[in-house]
Amino acid sequence: MRKSALLLSLILGVTSAYAGTNINGNVESRCTVNTDTAGYYGNPNAYTLTTLPASAGQVPLVRIDTSLANAYKAQISYPTSFSSSPSLGDTVVWTGTVAVDQTSSSDMSGYQAASTTANGGAMRIYPLTIAGATWFSIASVATYGGGQQKAFPGGSYTAVVVAECIAQ
Amino acid sequence: MYRPVILWLLLCGSVAAHDMTPTYPKWKMSFIPSANMTTMQIFNKRADVEWYQIGVFDKEWNSIPFVTRYKILNIKHLQRVKFDVYVNKTNAELVEYICSTSKLRGNDNFKPIVESRICSRFK
Repeated sequence: MRKSALLLSLILGVTSAYAGTNINGNVESRCTVNTDTAGYYGNPNAYTLTTLPASAGQVPLVRIDTSLANAYKAQISYPTSFSSSPSLGDTVVWTGTVAVDQTSSSDMSGYQAASTTANGGAMRIYPLTIAGATWFSIASVATYGGGQQKAFPGGSYTAVVVAECIAQ
Repeated sequence: MYRPVILWLLLCGSVAAHDMTPTYPKWKMSFIPSANMTTMQIFNKRADVEWYQIGVFDKEWNSIPFVTRYKILNIKHLQRVKFDVYVNKTNAELVEYICSTSKLRGNDNFKPIVESRICSRFK
């Protein structure tokens, strides 16, 4: 009886040794694009739409989070056309700025200086060299009339800010 | 010491976010002998978006033909969706990026809206 109990415990011991499994996993990088503040246009005069707070607008804020350094670059663009608007017979002049508004680490303070531009300056490219969160502000101004200060036709206007996270 | 915790809170606490994984996908054998496949995953935390368009590109950002269940995926708020992307074996060597782009709807007057785009890369 004792002999068989000993044998059983040996078998169970061996079995439990084989039942152990390794749990494997890889830490993969991840990029998340967050729309923290939607923003809206103020209409300080007939021919201008602007996100500047001084003109009753609100600048959109986009946050990009990366979990590993050097895995992604952020590409942020201010609008250069309306995605929906009333029929516009004249030229709209677009200006804007993309800037780093806040960072989760002071090590990221060089992001704005290290950024480059593309698409005629409308897109700003930031290599995300440090893991963490970066808030980008995107100011946008649309002026109607090709410098002639013509009034925008009445109606609804929508423009699109593009926030991209591209794996490097 | 607290930085990883803060980062984790930021990543978990996002209320209007779009993410896609893996960052660096790899081609696998598929049940179609002439095609390679890879599996991607999108998590939609944007309450204002429920459609995401998939695109496959070479390193010059030229579109490459691909097959997936839907090229524009309906992903409800806080839903995670896995999808397979199939590319024929000849084109698979050219693929550099798989991207998901939020599809936006019109909104109220005078509001700029944010289009988010995330691209994973074959290395």
